[in-house]
Amino acid sequence: MNYIILIFFIFIIYSLASALYYMMKDGDGSKRMVKALTLRVGISIALFLFILFSFWMGWIKPSGVA
Amino acid sequence: MQSRLDYFVPDGSYWPILGSIGMAALLGGFASSLHGSLVGTISMILGFGIIIFMVFGWIGQVIQESETGTYNLQVDKSFRIGMAWFIFSEVMFFAAFFGALFYARQLSVPWLAGEGNNLYTGEVLWPEFKSVWPLIQMPDASNFTVPKGIIEAWEIPAINTLTLLTSGATLTYAHWSLMNKNRSGLIGGLIATIILGIIFLGLQAFEYVEAYQHLDLKLTSGIYGSTFFMLTGFHGLHVTLGTIMLIAILMRAIRGHFKKDRHFGFEAVAWYWHFVDVVWLGLFIVVYWL
Repeated sequence: MNYIILIFFIFIIYSLASALYYMMKDGDGSKRMVKALTLRVGISIALFLFILFSFWMGWIKPSGVA
Repeated sequence: MQSRLDYFVPDGSYWPILGSIGMAALLGGFASSLHGSLVGTISMILGFGIIIFMVFGWIGQVIQESETGTYNLQVDKSFRIGMAWFIFSEVMFFAAFFGALFYARQLSVPWLAGEGNNLYTGEVLWPEFKSVWPLIQMPDASNFTVPKGIIEAWEIPAINTLTLLTSGATLTYAHWSLMNKNRSGLIGGLIATIILGIIFLGLQAFEYVEAYQHLDLKLTSGIYGSTFFMLTGFHGLHVTLGTIMLIAILMRAIRGHFKKDRHFGFEAVAWYWHFVDVVWLGLFIVVYWL
């Protein structure tokens, strides 16, 4: 399960980093940055929903006091 | 606008020294207030006020210079490079705190319980100690505040995650509106993002009060309390700064400063907000879940 979350996270960081790259390289008229950030938001929401779903399914549970 | 060849040299400015004084008062005051000094607390509040004054004053001056056409393409490039270094320092900053959490949780606490090649460390120091995380039962709690519990992931942290994720979406809506020349969408999206940022901060303040008053979970609660408050606290500070920057961007948007092909100020602040959002998502998973 941790690996699936990690894969989500790699994609999030990749889209955030590519938005940074486009911000540095492109002029202000380019839409590549906003597209990358839209992807970033989409994957983040998907990850949050996935965590909700995994909790509901009983695959994961929050860290609690043992 | 000047050509790329003209190097822009700004006039002398008192903002950097004022910022340094504010920072020294804030951090010195914070350190003293941890030792119960009233003067330290006053100095901390004063330092924070000076920094807010400096941020608004300095940003205002830069905006004025930009709007009066002082900046050329060379300055634009230098802003982008400056932003890149700022981001690099921010990534390193959070990497250090996440690294501290990882070190404590995966390495040093298990070592104290005798894991790895530290069998006798455990035997000699605290033979009864079992390595668990969150570390609530410390091997020697005489110098710490023992918490009664921890903040549950499904309460405020989950609501806060939803709040920040939504703010990422509203900011993206504002961004698209800017690109599509929809001014009301830009302003509406920014206002929604700022409100969500303030809600996040309010909920986090409530969470801290809950932790301190009802759970006895404090900065002095051993390694768990320290890492918890350092990570979430510094993140909260970043959300505060991001909200202030978004308010400045909103003011500029209302005055019609940004154009479809000229809006680096907006882009830089938007990226910063997305970065803070991703850091929170990492915190939510690492601190509250794993």
